[in-house]
Amino acid sequence: MRIPCPHCGERDHSEFRYGGDATKQRPPHGTGDIDTWHDYYFLFENPKGPHTEYWQHVLGCRQWFKLSRNTATNARVAI
Amino acid sequence: MDTTRGKILADKVGMAVAGHSSHLAAMAGLKLPVESHILQAFVSEPIKPIVHHVVSWGAELFYMSQSDKGGLVFGGHIDGFNTYTQRGQFSKIQNVMECISSLAPFTQRLKLLRHWGGIMDMTPDGSPFICKTPIRNLYLNGGWCYQGFKATPASGYTFAHTLANDQEHPLVRDFALDRFKRGGELDEYGIGNWTYKQ
Repeated sequence: MRIPCPHCGERDHSEFRYGGDATKQRPPHGTGDIDTWHDYYFLFENPKGPHTEYWQHVLGCRQWFKLSRNTATNARVAI
Repeated sequence: MDTTRGKILADKVGMAVAGHSSHLAAMAGLKLPVESHILQAFVSEPIKPIVHHVVSWGAELFYMSQSDKGGLVFGGHIDGFNTYTQRGQFSKIQNVMECISSLAPFTQRLKLLRHWGGIMDMTPDGSPFICKTPIRNLYLNGGWCYQGFKATPASGYTFAHTLANDQEHPLVRDFALDRFKRGGELDEYGIGNWTYKQ
């Protein structure tokens, strides 16, 4: 799989680190009960299809960025 | 349950669908602490008996055993990102080959017969669920991460007990769906689907 780094361009996925679902909304500090925070942190949509996620170019410029990818094919999806 | 072969009625329903637990649970309105990742496995050409047990190695979660037909069966860690493609990435193939050739240098001349990628339910602590769910008479056996196949007998036995008695078997009481909420993460390898914590 090739991943487009916004700074370095398209590189092999092994230079990158997957950082999870980028569409999760963190509850504001000081709000919500244990269920709110549990659901935010521990539950995953886990779609078989388009997924917007964080990646970091750890073996390159170390920038974090968002990528939309189809998890059923690994093809990139336009955001 | 509505199936492609018609309706099936049951007093109790157990879910055990490795790789796609999230999707089956979603049909019942449940969202699980599960993310689906890919794990690759490899088989070499057959050779004479060389190991009669599993050899495992903490580096890369490497393991190696030998099948009855003589092929070495081995593998390592998940590829590192969520996917349903069942197509492994080459960098992981390279890592696992480096493991086997450094642990057992005689394997360097073996040919790789086949390899494949399977979809794993990865949970946040790397341990499975064998439990009741918030929905009455619906039971879950999933989130097996790396260890499903080898745990099958105990998993089946304790899951059957859970279904029959509507109460977790004492051995799997800690493998509950709400353990993250209770601060009851299991002390396994511990990173599960969070591969960026490696």
